[in-house]
Amino acid sequence: MQKIRDFIEEQFLIEFDESFPETSDLFKEGVMDSFGYIQLVRFLEQEFGIKFSEREMTGGVMVSLTQIEQTVAQKVAERVDS
Amino acid sequence: MCGIAGILNPVLCAETLGDDIQRMLSHIGHRGPDGAGYVVDNGFAMGTVRLAILDPASGVQPFGDPTGRYWLCYNGEIYNYRELRTELEARGCRFRTECDTEVVLNAWITWGSDCLRRFNGGFAFAVYDARNREVFLARDRFGKRPMFYAQRGETLLFGSEMKAFLAVPGFSFEQDPAQIAAILGQWTPLPDQSGFRDIKNLPMGQWLSFRNAELTTHTYADLRFDEGPDVRSEEEALELIRKRLTRSVELRLRSDVEVGVYLSGGVDSAIVATLAKDFATRPVSTFSVEFEDAEFDESEDQQLVSSHLGTHHHAQRITYADIADNTPDAVFHAEIPAFRSAFVPMYILSRRTQEEGIKVILSGEGADEAFLGYDLFKETLLRGSWDDHTDDARRERLKLFYPHLTHYGPEHIAAMTGLYQQFSQEKMPGLFSHELRFQNGLFSARLLKDAGDPFAEISALVAAQACYSDLSPVQKAQWLEYKTLLSGYLLSTQGERMSLAHGVENRCPFLDPDVFALATSINLKFDDGFSEKRLLREAFRDRLPDKIIDKRKFPYRAPDAAAFAARRPDYLDLVLSETELSGLPFLNAKFAQRLANKVLTKPAGEISTKENQTFLYLLSICLLNRTFVRREELPSANLPPLQKVVDLSQTSEAHVSHGNLSLVT
Repeated sequence: MQKIRDFIEEQFLIEFDESFPETSDLFKEGVMDSFGYIQLVRFLEQEFGIKFSEREMTGGVMVSLTQIEQTVAQKVAERVDS
Repeated sequence: MCGIAGILNPVLCAETLGDDIQRMLSHIGHRGPDGAGYVVDNGFAMGTVRLAILDPASGVQPFGDPTGRYWLCYNGEIYNYRELRTELEARGCRFRTECDTEVVLNAWITWGSDCLRRFNGGFAFAVYDARNREVFLARDRFGKRPMFYAQRGETLLFGSEMKAFLAVPGFSFEQDPAQIAAILGQWTPLPDQSGFRDIKNLPMGQWLSFRNAELTTHTYADLRFDEGPDVRSEEEALELIRKRLTRSVELRLRSDVEVGVYLSGGVDSAIVATLAKDFATRPVSTFSVEFEDAEFDESEDQQLVSSHLGTHHHAQRITYADIADNTPDAVFHAEIPAFRSAFVPMYILSRRTQEEGIKVILSGEGADEAFLGYDLFKETLLRGSWDDHTDDARRERLKLFYPHLTHYGPEHIAAMTGLYQQFSQEKMPGLFSHELRFQNGLFSARLLKDAGDPFAEISALVAAQACYSDLSPVQKAQWLEYKTLLSGYLLSTQGERMSLAHGVENRCPFLDPDVFALATSINLKFDDGFSEKRLLREAFRDRLPDKIIDKRKFPYRAPDAAAFAARRPDYLDLVLSETELSGLPFLNAKFAQRLANKVLTKPAGEISTKENQTFLYLLSICLLNRTFVRREELPSANLPPLQKVVDLSQTSEAHVSHGNLSLVT
């Protein structure tokens, strides 16, 4: 999961800390735009060998580092189970 | 076209103000290299640098009425001046010249501020009432020509460009983080903003009066969407488009010097060139920028239009070096932080235009705003009806958007649908159409240590508009485009500030009030808006090659950070050096440095639009700080030949000197 944090910090020029917690809404904070969102989704799919469903991408669950990490962990677990 | 400047300060004598106004005019000499003139009184001075286009011999300014009470310094053109002159003559006015300047002054004296509603043109002017010691400033309805002003107590400064204020003793420029936050958030200043503390831009469609230290502003023209004709059929719509645009071009060809056309390669400027050719007695001169970088180049289409119309074409090829070398000068002329480098090629093109001996050009600006040419409008339609569509329908629509952006490509369409889903409900009251754009703006606002709410001002602006809430979502999007991107960047930074840097006047047939009113009547009436500018294209289908008529909107852009990364000009120290950045304490230096390092070292394909934009903002903010705030690397200021000086302080009668006035001040 460190890779996700590193990717977001590097890609969006931010640092998660007390003033910018991991639960921050990356859209509302002006960190994420359409280009960045596409880059992030592609990175996660390639790095973790997972595929996001339309529902996951449209459901507003990928807006903070915490949510992204939870979603990815869940999908990785599902992949292992199956 | 001209530049004007003025100063009202009751404690200064005419002699001192005469010196001040000459220095102010010298800073905007590029706008009117043909001659300068000024009027002084105790406590007041104003002047003009003139680009002589109509009646070059007798239109010398400042222009006074026969009684010596009213004086006019005027920038721009009133295209319907002949018709107004006939009306004024019928009311007893007598004219001494063939120049529209005299029509403007008589119209003001006859009708007062009501004259402004009658003007069809791009203008900004100042009238001085010597009897009442009152100054009036006015600006055209679309914000084509600029009018900046600064009030400090009993003192008022005004000018076509803020750089005129550099000459005023004791005046200092200070960048205003609150205004800069708004610029970063919404791409451009709001109509009254300048980016500098205590300097305002007179908003489009307004005039102001200043007397005894009291300043009042008045609106004479709102942007209305309910004043167009009743159009019953598509056939009638097409006929009216042809008729009104033809008339608009005819009016804008009124000139005593040759008029050329800027060809972008798109359909709008091709239509303008087609109509200009209809009135021409010899081949029309056309001008274009070509790019060495194929991603931005439209030269094939420009040449197609040129050969189709048989124009005398001039192409200016732009390299990375051209952009890097000319950015500091272009930013100085722009005066406002910019989010793209695309204005720099226009600076170079106007220099070429001047070298070719052309003083006036027509261009296609304003067509996309009037006839719904931008994907922003389609995006607004789709997002506004998101819940009414199936997933497949949403995807099909989305695939049509922004063809020049790879992340809107078919392989990313599912993720893009997810993104749009999050923007399908209004979150910012009144600003629904622009929420995705403003998302990028939030990123740019991180350049500031404390950006506050970058959208507080624009939210307040729309909330204060009486009829705004009654507009449809697309009309609101148009309103916002007219008030921000069009006037605050396309017409100014990329438009007239660049053309006037080299004494070239630009005229925009799509900014005719009758053309705009017509568009408001027919938009979305005969189609669903997803084929951009369909009616405009169909109106001219048989006049231009299908390739041009059916060409998708290709936004005019230029290489951004890539040009600077490739050339590494010395002035990049301004954005890379900790010492330099510390001189702008309102900036978040750490973020600025990280951003600059990223965009200047990573491959261009890995740099997002918002990063490019934010870098350009950063660079232009730092360059403006260097010239305006620190007054370093200032270009030389040159006063055009003095043609007229009027000293109202010498006698009760105006003391007027004409001719070669190099010895008369």
